[in-house]
Amino acid sequence: MAASLQSAAGFFVGSRPAEWSPLEEEVTALYDQHRGPLLRYLGSLRVSAADGEEIVQEVFLALFRHLRQNKSRANLRGWIFAVAHNLALKNRAARLRHAEVDAPGEYRDPGPDPEQLAAGNQRQARLLAVVRALPEQDRCCLSLRAEGFRYREIAQIVGISLGSVANALERSLSRLSRACPEGAERT
Amino acid sequence: MRERNPHLPNADLIRLADGECGPAESAQARAHLESCWKCRSRLQELESAIHDFMQAAPELPELPSPDPARAVFRARLSQLAAEAPPPRWNAFWRGVPALAAAAVAIATILITFGGTVNADGPKPRTSLTPGETRPVSLAEVCAVPEPDPEQDNETARQIPVEMQRQVFAAYGMDPAQAGAYEVDYLITPELGGAHTVRNLWPQPYSARWNARVKDRLEHRLHQLVCQGKVNLATAQHDIAKDWIGAYRKYVTPSSPR
Ligand SMILES: [Zn+2]
Repeated sequence: MAASLQSAAGFFVGSRPAEWSPLEEEVTALYDQHRGPLLRYLGSLRVSAADGEEIVQEVFLALFRHLRQNKSRANLRGWIFAVAHNLALKNRAARLRHAEVDAPGEYRDPGPDPEQLAAGNQRQARLLAVVRALPEQDRCCLSLRAEGFRYREIAQIVGISLGSVANALERSLSRLSRACPEGAERT
Repeated sequence: MRERNPHLPNADLIRLADGECGPAESAQARAHLESCWKCRSRLQELESAIHDFMQAAPELPELPSPDPARAVFRARLSQLAAEAPPPRWNAFWRGVPALAAAAVAIATILITFGGTVNADGPKPRTSLTPGETRPVSLAEVCAVPEPDPEQDNETARQIPVEMQRQVFAAYGMDPAQAGAYEVDYLITPELGGAHTVRNLWPQPYSARWNARVKDRLEHRLHQLVCQGKVNLATAQHDIAKDWIGAYRKYVTPSSPR
């Protein structure tokens, strides 16, 4: 679909679907930029790929509404991840309720991806297993830090204190370095 | 330097490497690191754990092609954008300050709001605006970050003109007088309020208990609800029954200036 760009900035056309308003273009650009990292983060929250895609869409539709109301543009990336985080928890709660109906009392971690086990080396597999076994909050903090967020932003996204973020990262990295000590065999 | 255990705990080493220490703390820690191979090698281990994690962490692995999802997204966005926010009374009046001021003056004199007008301005009438909620879970309510009271003023919500007209009609108001009022949700949508006429009422701009004051209450209640300190149903009930009382209860007992 060829989208003709509006030349007059700020001019909103809602009735001509072939044309994109500057805000739509902006939100789409943000979608393109953050979709991958968001899907990766949602994966660390054990959201399935299909659900992740849906959540990402919901996030950016919410962002469009947010920006259309001239609300704060401060730290949009943090805002985006915070909404995704909350939608992921909500999604998982719904899935769990479902799972209880299907198989009462049973919720199983899918475990390491067989492809990763086959293709990756052992050290990597062991490391991923450690990451998977981390408490969820620790894994969230680790993933968000890996996305380049500062502690303050992570605290806001996950809804915990600064100190809890620092502790989560300490626990995660200490575990990782114990599980895969320096100088252990690298294949 | 600490006496009992002079070495830096892992948490400090990580915060230092991440640039999350204050200048004084950071200078002290660096001085220790220069003098201490033990801590430096531990820092090295932590750094290599970071390195390993970044190597092993999913490098955006076999993501499904963005194209189909992107096409769906653009279609949904376009549909959302087509639901253009209707022009708002307050947006109009804000552009015409003199007229707005005049309208406020006239409205204050003329409108008798079914006997509920007092110095604090009219209150929502229970018969017309009992406050309605939509079925919403706590998780949904808390999925959206708290409305920021500085940002989230009366420009935040779009209410279709037709609904605004119905509200004014229900309250027996001439639309010409409506400029001094904002049609506002009684139970804010952020707390699960419904998008229905029975959850809407005309709120005066000029009164001491105005929309901005109510925004502060809504912000506070959202906070309390999402922190698990107040039950969502209680918050909805309290704001619908007597939002001014709720303000005194949850925000501050004193009246706004
Ligand atoms: Zn030391």
